Amino acid sequence: MSGTEQDGWGSSGRAGCDLLAAELAACEREEFTGRVRVAGTPGGTLHLRGGLVVAVESPGSPGPEALLLRSGRVSDEQWAELVREAGGSPWPAAGLIAREYAGAAQLRVVCLMAMRDAVFAIVAGQLDDCERDAEAEPAAPSPYGESPWRLLQDADRRLAAVETLACPVSPDRERTVAAPGAEWTEGLTALRRELLAHADGRRSARDLAFLTGRGVYAVTVEVARMLGEGLLERVEEPPPIPLSPAAARHGVGQRLRALPLLGPEPDAEERAADPEPPAAEEPAADADDLPRRSPGASGINESVNSQDSQAS
Amino acid sequence: MDHNALAQEMRGLREQVTGITDTAVAAADGLLIAADTADSIDREGLAAVAAAGLGLARRTTDLASRGALRRTVTYGSRGCAACYAVGDTALMVVLGDEGLDVERLHTATQPALDRIEAILTAKNPESEKTPEGV
Repeated sequence: MSGTEQDGWGSSGRAGCDLLAAELAACEREEFTGRVRVAGTPGGTLHLRGGLVVAVESPGSPGPEALLLRSGRVSDEQWAELVREAGGSPWPAAGLIAREYAGAAQLRVVCLMAMRDAVFAIVAGQLDDCERDAEAEPAAPSPYGESPWRLLQDADRRLAAVETLACPVSPDRERTVAAPGAEWTEGLTALRRELLAHADGRRSARDLAFLTGRGVYAVTVEVARMLGEGLLERVEEPPPIPLSPAAARHGVGQRLRALPLLGPEPDAEERAADPEPPAAEEPAADADDLPRRSPGASGINESVNSQDSQAS
Repeated sequence: MDHNALAQEMRGLREQVTGITDTAVAAADGLLIAADTADSIDREGLAAVAAAGLGLARRTTDLASRGALRRTVTYGSRGCAACYAVGDTALMVVLGDEGLDVERLHTATQPALDRIEAILTAKNPESEKTPEGV
C-alpha cells in the first residue's frame, strides 16, 4: 500500500491515520505476523503477532529503554550489567524485575505507553508509504498484543486533543525557546522546569521528550500549554550557524585545498593526545598561512587527564 | 566558501533525519569550520576528537586491509556520534539521540557530503570570508 506524503498534522486533517488504518485493518483481518514499516518523517515500524501489535518503534518517540534510562529509573551502568547478564538481549526484562528496578506490571505499562506514544508520533508526522515485511524481532515486545484499531483510535484522540489546545504544536517540527524570565515563574512543575531548561530554540517537543525521558505526547501537550501561557515562545527562524572564529578569520576553501590529503597520517591523533595547555589566543596568521588548530586548544586533554586522575 | 550554503546543508540534514541533535564540519586537522550544536557541546573539542578518531579509523582500515573508510559511528547509551570524511580535507560529525535511525542517516548523508565538499572547496574568493552566522 502506498500513499503520497500524507500529513497527520494540522489543517490537512488526520489523513495519515487513514493511510495506516487501512493497512493495519487488513493485518488484523488476516492475523498477520510480521512488521509494517511506515516510511515517512519520523516514520516507524509496527511489529504484529497474529494481527495484534506487540511493539512499535519510531525515531519520533522514546522507546522503553530510553524512558527507563533517561528518567533515571535505571542507571547506564545498571543497564549495561543487565544486558550482559541477559546475554546481550536489548531488553533485559527478567533482570529488571529480578533486581527490582521495575515490577512486571510496570514494565508492561512502560511498553504499552511507548507503543501508544510511537503510534502518535508516526501519525502526527509525514507518512509516505506503508509496507509489510518479514518478521524481525522487536527490541522490547509487549507480552500482550494490542488491537491495531484501538492503537490508532488512541493516536487519533491524542492528535485531536493537541489540536484543540490554544497553541497547538507539532511534535517534531516546531522548535521553542524559553520566554525571558520564564524560569522565575512561581509554581513550576518539575517537568516544566526541565522543559524550560532544555528549550533552546533548536529543539522540538520530540527532542525534549528524549532529553527528559518522557512520552512525546505528554511533552507535546505540555509545550503547547506553556506556549499558551507565554512560558515558551515559538522559534520562527532557527538560531544562526556561525563560522568558527578561526575559519571566519582565514577563509576556508583555499586553506582546505592546501591541506595534505588525508591518509594514514597521525597529525590529528597527535593533536588530540597532545598534553600542551590550551593556547590563550589563536595565533595571528598571515593571510597566506594555513590556519592550523592549536594543539590542546580545546582543553579536551585537560578534561580527559583530570577524569583519569580522578578515576585512579 | 558559501557560508549560507553550508549552513543550509547542515540544517537541512537535521530537518531531514529525525533524531539528529547536532552537526559540525571541521577541517581534517581538527580545525572547526562551523557547528550547529547545543551550547552544552564543546565544539572545538568535538572537532578535534572527531578528526583524531577518523584518522585512527582510516589507519585501522588501512592496516586491516578493509578498503576505503566509509564512516565511524560511536554508540553511547544515550545516542551516537557519526563521523564522515568530506572529501580528503574535511569531515562532518553528526550527533544523534537514541531515536536516530542510523541507516537512514547514512543514506541521507551521502548526497549531503558531496554537496558540502563542493561548498568547502569552491573557488569563490568573494565569499571566502563571511563571519556572520546564518
